[in-house]
Amino acid sequence: MTEEARSDTPFGLIVPERMGSAVLGIAAELGGMGVLAAQLVRRMLPPKIDRYELTRNLYKMGNKSVGIVASTALFVGGIVVIQAAPLVVRFSATAIIGWAAGFAMLREVAPLLIALMFSGRVGANNTAELGTMVVTDQLDALRALAIDPLSYLILPRVIAMITMLFALNIVGDLTAIIGAIISANALLDVDFSLFMDSFLEMIDAWDFMQSVIKSIGFGLMISITSCYFGLTVKGGAPGVGRAVNSAVVAAAIGVFVMDYFSTYILK
Amino acid sequence: MTIQAQPLTQHHDLEDPVHEDDRPRTLVQTMTAPLSAFGQDMYGLWTLLRQTVQAILQGRVDRESTFAQLYSIGNGSVLFITVTMIVLGMILVVQAGMQTQRVLPELSLLGANIIQLLAREFAPTVCAMMLATRVGAGIAAEIGSMVVTDQVDALRMSGAQPVDYLVVPRLIAGVLMTLALSFWSLFIALMAGTFAANTQFDLNISTFVNFSFVNMGDYIVMTLKAIAYGAAIPIVSSQRGLTTFGGSEGVGWATTNAVVHSSIAIILLDLILSVFGYIAFPPV
Repeated sequence: MTEEARSDTPFGLIVPERMGSAVLGIAAELGGMGVLAAQLVRRMLPPKIDRYELTRNLYKMGNKSVGIVASTALFVGGIVVIQAAPLVVRFSATAIIGWAAGFAMLREVAPLLIALMFSGRVGANNTAELGTMVVTDQLDALRALAIDPLSYLILPRVIAMITMLFALNIVGDLTAIIGAIISANALLDVDFSLFMDSFLEMIDAWDFMQSVIKSIGFGLMISITSCYFGLTVKGGAPGVGRAVNSAVVAAAIGVFVMDYFSTYILK
Repeated sequence: MTIQAQPLTQHHDLEDPVHEDDRPRTLVQTMTAPLSAFGQDMYGLWTLLRQTVQAILQGRVDRESTFAQLYSIGNGSVLFITVTMIVLGMILVVQAGMQTQRVLPELSLLGANIIQLLAREFAPTVCAMMLATRVGAGIAAEIGSMVVTDQVDALRMSGAQPVDYLVVPRLIAGVLMTLALSFWSLFIALMAGTFAANTQFDLNISTFVNFSFVNMGDYIVMTLKAIAYGAAIPIVSSQRGLTTFGGSEGVGWATTNAVVHSSIAIILLDLILSVFGYIAFPPV
């Protein structure tokens, strides 16, 4: 919609018009992501992946994020215990703090916060990198050399992000539990064995599996949004900045919405 | 024994750029390098915060750009925060309700507990995490691209302090708007939670909306958290933007670092303020 056309719209129609164009924009983005995902699935059958790119991205996205994810998860474990403390003190049930904290961390807080950190660090950087390649015509150069950009550039990144968020989530779960044990000991005088008793008794493998399944879903969401916004950059260097911003925002909303539905599906 | 260390990320101080050189280090130096980098980082952030607060106290506030920042940080984020908070409120109620049903026969206190949890923790923190991704990235990209195109040096040459023009409006807007959006988040998450409790667990609205557990301490903790996060996001992101180097690729890195480091700052402040809240206002 050009500026002149918008100024022609009658006053009463400005709000509906903007809402309509916003809905159309969101629909176009969702459709574009769907098409991108379908194209990637097509290239998986049979798998045509550049092995060097894959290992390079696995290292860059995974190993380099371990420190950030582990420290975030350690603090998050502590915070969960502090916030659960009023509840268990109110019902005079400090013995079940291991269950309350472990449940909240494994099912919700740890996968969600680790995914948000991963999206900020890896997703945003990936969008910026792809966007810079697009505005400097490097993707067209690849096409001119008869190299398929999707299977050479995008597929290794998507696979690396999903694999590494999955792995980092397991690391994060463990450090979050360590953080929870430390702060339960310091603040509530719940010692290690009492914490582990209620944790092991009430938390089963399914709680841990939920965390893992969620992290795979979040990884898919983050990788597709960040690659899509990177590939559709327009307008030079400022366009790359805008794309990074919208990729991070879209990934955050996507992760929250996916979390909501997975809460129902994975009861 | 000497080993070759990885070159550190270069940190340019605001006044005089300090460049790390790549000379071989001893093992001790290599092991303490992350610590000293962290210390330098903290010093840079502290310097920027001090300069900004000084400028505000001396009244060097540009009113027009402050209003522009208030609009872009606050009004621009309302929709994003609202969508996230609706989802968060519903997730919280469904998860907490399902677990409570395992140990307690009835859910009449679910709402009171969730409202306290929202006020103390989720409303300010998740709101600030979302603001860090949206606003932090924007601030770092804006200031960073001004730095790499030498516009900040141009400001300095014409006798204008970059901190006054760039950081002060963002700090004021960040603090005010994080505070406002935190209370908005609490309201929205509460509405969505009430809806979920009503449809999922057949809880009455009057049973669910129960403020009896929320005391003054919770509001104080929530306000303190919102102010701390609201100051941390613009200071961390502006510092990352002002220390950008290396062209448009550097702007990309500054943006990524702004988001990641503001998020870490938020989680660290959350831990500190939660411990403070637990000790200052112990649960009754």
